[in-house]
Amino acid sequence: MDKLIVDLKEQIAVQLKLKNIKPEDIGDDEPLFGAGLGLDSLDVLELIVLLKQKYKLRVTNPEDGLKVFKSVRTMAEFITANGVQNT
Amino acid sequence: MKTYIRSTVTISPQKTFNNPVFLNELTEYTSNRLTCIEPDYSEAIDPKLIRRMSRIIKMSVASALACLKDAEIASPDAIVTGTAYGCLEDTGIFLTNMVQENEEPVTPVAFVQSTHNTIGAQVALLIKCNRYNNTFVSSGASFENALLDAMMLLAENNTTNVLVGGMDEITDMSHIVLSRMGLYKRQPVSNLNLFNTNSKGTINGEGVAFFLLENTPSENDLACIDGAATFYKPEDIEGIKQHISAFLITQHINYNDINLLIIGNNGDAKNDEIYERLRQSVFNEIPSINYKHLCGEYPTSTAFATWLGANVIKNNNTPASLNNNYSPKTQINKVLIYNHYQNIYHSLILMSSC
Repeated sequence: MDKLIVDLKEQIAVQLKLKNIKPEDIGDDEPLFGAGLGLDSLDVLELIVLLKQKYKLRVTNPEDGLKVFKSVRTMAEFITANGVQNT
Repeated sequence: MKTYIRSTVTISPQKTFNNPVFLNELTEYTSNRLTCIEPDYSEAIDPKLIRRMSRIIKMSVASALACLKDAEIASPDAIVTGTAYGCLEDTGIFLTNMVQENEEPVTPVAFVQSTHNTIGAQVALLIKCNRYNNTFVSSGASFENALLDAMMLLAENNTTNVLVGGMDEITDMSHIVLSRMGLYKRQPVSNLNLFNTNSKGTINGEGVAFFLLENTPSENDLACIDGAATFYKPEDIEGIKQHISAFLITQHINYNDINLLIIGNNGDAKNDEIYERLRQSVFNEIPSINYKHLCGEYPTSTAFATWLGANVIKNNNTPASLNNNYSPKTQINKVLIYNHYQNIYHSLILMSSC
C-alpha cells in the first residue's frame, strides 16, 4: 500500500501538472478537493483517466467517485480493493 | 470608420514584452525557426491557473491582460481573436494520446483546451467578461477578419471598446510537417540576413499581439486603424494592383499619401517576387520596411505588423535597429501594411496618426 501511495502521488503530480507541488508534499489523507490540494471538477476527469490508463479501473458510479477521490489513500484503497497490487 | 488603438502588447521572437523601449535591439537566430521570448508568467497569471495552460494560451493570456491593464480597462465590450492553428500543442497531445490509448478515453484537459476559441474564452473567464466573444479561423486572413469584426462592432452604437488579438504557435510536430512541405529554408540562416539569401523557403515564426481598440479618440492613443481589407487568390499581379487601388479609393487616399509601407517579404524568392514587382510599380515612391525577419512567417503575422505600425506612428520613426535608412521628413501620417500568405490570402491594413 505504501509504495502504491508513493506511486499515486507521482502520477497525480504529473497528470495534473502540479509543478509547484512535490509529490512527497501531498499528504496521504489530505483532501484532494476543496481546502486540501484545491483540485476542481476538471481534475476529477483527469483522475478518472489516470485510473483507467494506469490501473485499468473504471469509476462508473458517481457516488463511488466521492469516496474514491477523497484522498490519495482512498484512491489506493480503491485500487487495492479491485485486486490491483501496483503498476 | 476610424478606430483608435489605446494600447497594444505583443510577445514575439524579439524582446517586445515588458520592454519600454521600442525594438532597441534585435535578437538574432541562426535557424529556420523563430521562437517567442516568453516572460515570467507568475507575475501576470495566477500560478494555480497556469498549470493547465499551454504555451500559446499563456502567451495570449499574458498579452491580453497586459493590454487591458495598459488601457486601464477592466473588462472590454467584446473580445475577438484570430488564429489559424489555434491551440496546436494541446491538439497534438490529445491526438497522440488517442492513438497511444487505442481510442480509449483520453486526458480531457488537452482536448478541452485544443479548440481555437480557447484563448478568447480563457481571457473572458479570467476577467469575468460575459459579453461578445468570437474567434476567426481563416488561415492567413484570421487576424484581419478578427480586426474587421472588431471595427464593425465599434461602428455600432453599443460597443465602445474591443480587445482584439492575433496569435499562432509553432510546435515541434507542426515545424516538422510544414518543413516537409518545403515551406522553410533547408540551410540555417540568420534572420537578420533573411532578405539577402535569394533562396527557396522562409523561416518559421510565431507570436501573439493584442490591441485595445476604441471608437472615440483620447490623448493616449498610439495610432488609428483607418481600414482593412482582404482578397483571396488574385489572378495575377495586375489583379493585386487593382485590389490595392480599390482599397485606397475606399479610404479616400492616393499612393502619394502613404508615408511608409510595412511589407510582408519573407525571404522566399518566389514569394517575394510579388512584393518586388509592386515595389517597382505602384509602391515605387513609397519608403518601406520589412518585418518578418523579426517574427518569422506565420498566418497571423500581420498582428505583429500592426503592433509595429502602431509603434512606428507613435514614435514617428522606425527603430534604428532595423537599419532601413528611413528618416521621415515629416510626421508619419499614413502607414500601409500589405501582406500575402502563400499568395492565397492577401491583406491591407491602413493605419494613421491620431
